[in-house]
Amino acid sequence: MSRILKKKEFGIFLVILVLSSILTMINRVFIRPDNLIDVAKGNVVPGIMALGMLPVLISGGIDLSVSSTIALSSVIAGKIMVNYGGNLFVVLLVSLGVGAAVGALNGIIIAKLKIPPIVATLGTMSIILGFVMKYTNGDWITNLPEWFKSFGVIKVAGLPIQVLILVLAGAVTWFALNYTLTGRGIYAVGGSPSSALRVGYNVDRIQVFIYTFCGAMAGLAGVIHTSIVQQVDPNTFNGMELKVIISVVIGGASTMGGIGTVLGTFLGVALMAILNNGLVLAKVPTFWQKIVMGLIIVFAVSFDVINRKREKAKLERVDVEE
Amino acid sequence: MKLLQKLRSKHSNELILLVILVGVVLLMGILSPGKFYTKNNLLTMAAQMPEFGLIALGMMVAILTGGINLSITNVATLSGIAAAFTLLSDFTQNYPGPGIVLAVVSSLIVAILTGLFNGVFVAYVGVAAMLVTLGSMTLFEGIGLNLTKGGSIAGFPPSFMKLGNGNLLGIPVPLLIYLAAIIVSYFMLERSNWGVKVYMTGCNEVATRFSGINTRRTLLKVYVFSSVMASLGGLVMISRYNSAKVDYGSSYMMQSVAAVVLGGTSINGGHGTVLGTVIAVAIIQVTSTGLNLYGAERYDIDIITGCILVGVLTIRFMNAKRQSAKLLKGGGAAQRANV
Repeated sequence: MSRILKKKEFGIFLVILVLSSILTMINRVFIRPDNLIDVAKGNVVPGIMALGMLPVLISGGIDLSVSSTIALSSVIAGKIMVNYGGNLFVVLLVSLGVGAAVGALNGIIIAKLKIPPIVATLGTMSIILGFVMKYTNGDWITNLPEWFKSFGVIKVAGLPIQVLILVLAGAVTWFALNYTLTGRGIYAVGGSPSSALRVGYNVDRIQVFIYTFCGAMAGLAGVIHTSIVQQVDPNTFNGMELKVIISVVIGGASTMGGIGTVLGTFLGVALMAILNNGLVLAKVPTFWQKIVMGLIIVFAVSFDVINRKREKAKLERVDVEE
Repeated sequence: MKLLQKLRSKHSNELILLVILVGVVLLMGILSPGKFYTKNNLLTMAAQMPEFGLIALGMMVAILTGGINLSITNVATLSGIAAAFTLLSDFTQNYPGPGIVLAVVSSLIVAILTGLFNGVFVAYVGVAAMLVTLGSMTLFEGIGLNLTKGGSIAGFPPSFMKLGNGNLLGIPVPLLIYLAAIIVSYFMLERSNWGVKVYMTGCNEVATRFSGINTRRTLLKVYVFSSVMASLGGLVMISRYNSAKVDYGSSYMMQSVAAVVLGGTSINGGHGTVLGTVIAVAIIQVTSTGLNLYGAERYDIDIITGCILVGVLTIRFMNAKRQSAKLLKGGGAAQRANV
């Protein structure tokens, strides 16, 4: 029990609990199952992208290009569906493939050319977004085939299919991070790249893998997004990378690398989702929502740092006493 | 000759950038002959560059310390909005002269407050700069939205427009502001006590603190400086557009990071020059204006800017590798120590 209490995820969970209770008191609609399912469905896309971003942040990197990647893969998958038909398998394959290819490119630039991740992905972000906008002119892709539209509204045991895919993606990420050699290598690289190199990890290969995974997740998120909104709007993803990063960080991952869990990431995404939904339900005026959001982000990240400092100080004191 | 050698050894990066700038200027002249080298176009570029350049200078200081300021464009617009409210007040309607001075002062006060907000959380609480400014970006945007209700504020006194559109001795006023900011930045960063501390903090904060320097106060000032530069950019912007709005200049945020890195500032902090940033800003401005004249779309410009960024960094990496290989030749011990 005390082990659970000490965990970082527990703190976020507590915040979610308190916030949910307050919101329920303000507006009963919040706790209704259909509202909760709607919130979950609406946040599958940032959730999947956050799962891709998690290993990147654990490794001490960052990927700003995810919003361009999701736009690119949605547009390509959308065009293929409209022009050639195909089936769900093809769409998923193309989307994941495009995402993985972009991610691999990022990974190679970062690992082999040693360009810092934030700069490399900033560059690819503007290159890819430029191509997407040039190709589509910012136009929407509508009239998607019926089979795809009907895929989007499938429900299993009352839950939308998208939510199940998110859970599945989470399980895969969790397994990969905790029970594979590459997954442990990601934590090692994030802790200290030179130590990881010395114990025999192929740091370059791990880095390429991380960014490929992140890109593939963005590709998957593209299919899911299209299946929810039933059209492709290349402009809708602007600025999404920052939202995804902040969710993962609120979920306890450190931008310095080495720390982060799938459970925490889910809680971080949930916190942001509840905030977004709750501020609307609590009838907070639109103009105030961003202020509340900004303050909560700043205080959430500060709280974490202060907590960690206190823990460290306690540890040091114990050291001295012994 | 000796001067050239000194230049090559100490400022090789700026020299490369200068060569690229000259190349880009020549190329753009060839691409759209008769259109690029006109007085009108050059004046337009000179009027457009300052707002971007000022924001880039503000971004540069933050990056020099190993941080980043993602809230920079929102600081620019928020302080612009503060100035706009002062400009529209009854006082300014009655006394335009003092009113404009008051507007500038109010925008600076807002900038200092935002800088203190960012700085306190980065320096004293110790949160990563990226996360603090990610939050404050949303916060400042929210405050701006709240004040303007999402619309734009317009109708400034005509004399205020001179700040963004006027000429002094044939030189656009924004360019003069930019030049003054460049000189001030140069002296503060590369010729002052505080500047040395900024670079040291960027190189190794712990070592700097242990050598008796108050890194917290240094960092706090860095974010105030960053905000003040942004507010100057904001003032030029609202004067040029004759209105203030929350989302003005939002594309400058990522662009300014690109310009700073292109200018040779290390994203991990500790290295970089004001001159490098200024030349990189000019390269990006000339490229986008030139391609615009040539008839390229905005998206082509995005693609090309991205390619320049990745390309220059690749060249820089290759150069560094070659140099370290040269140093290590025959020095097996050094190589082992490096791995």
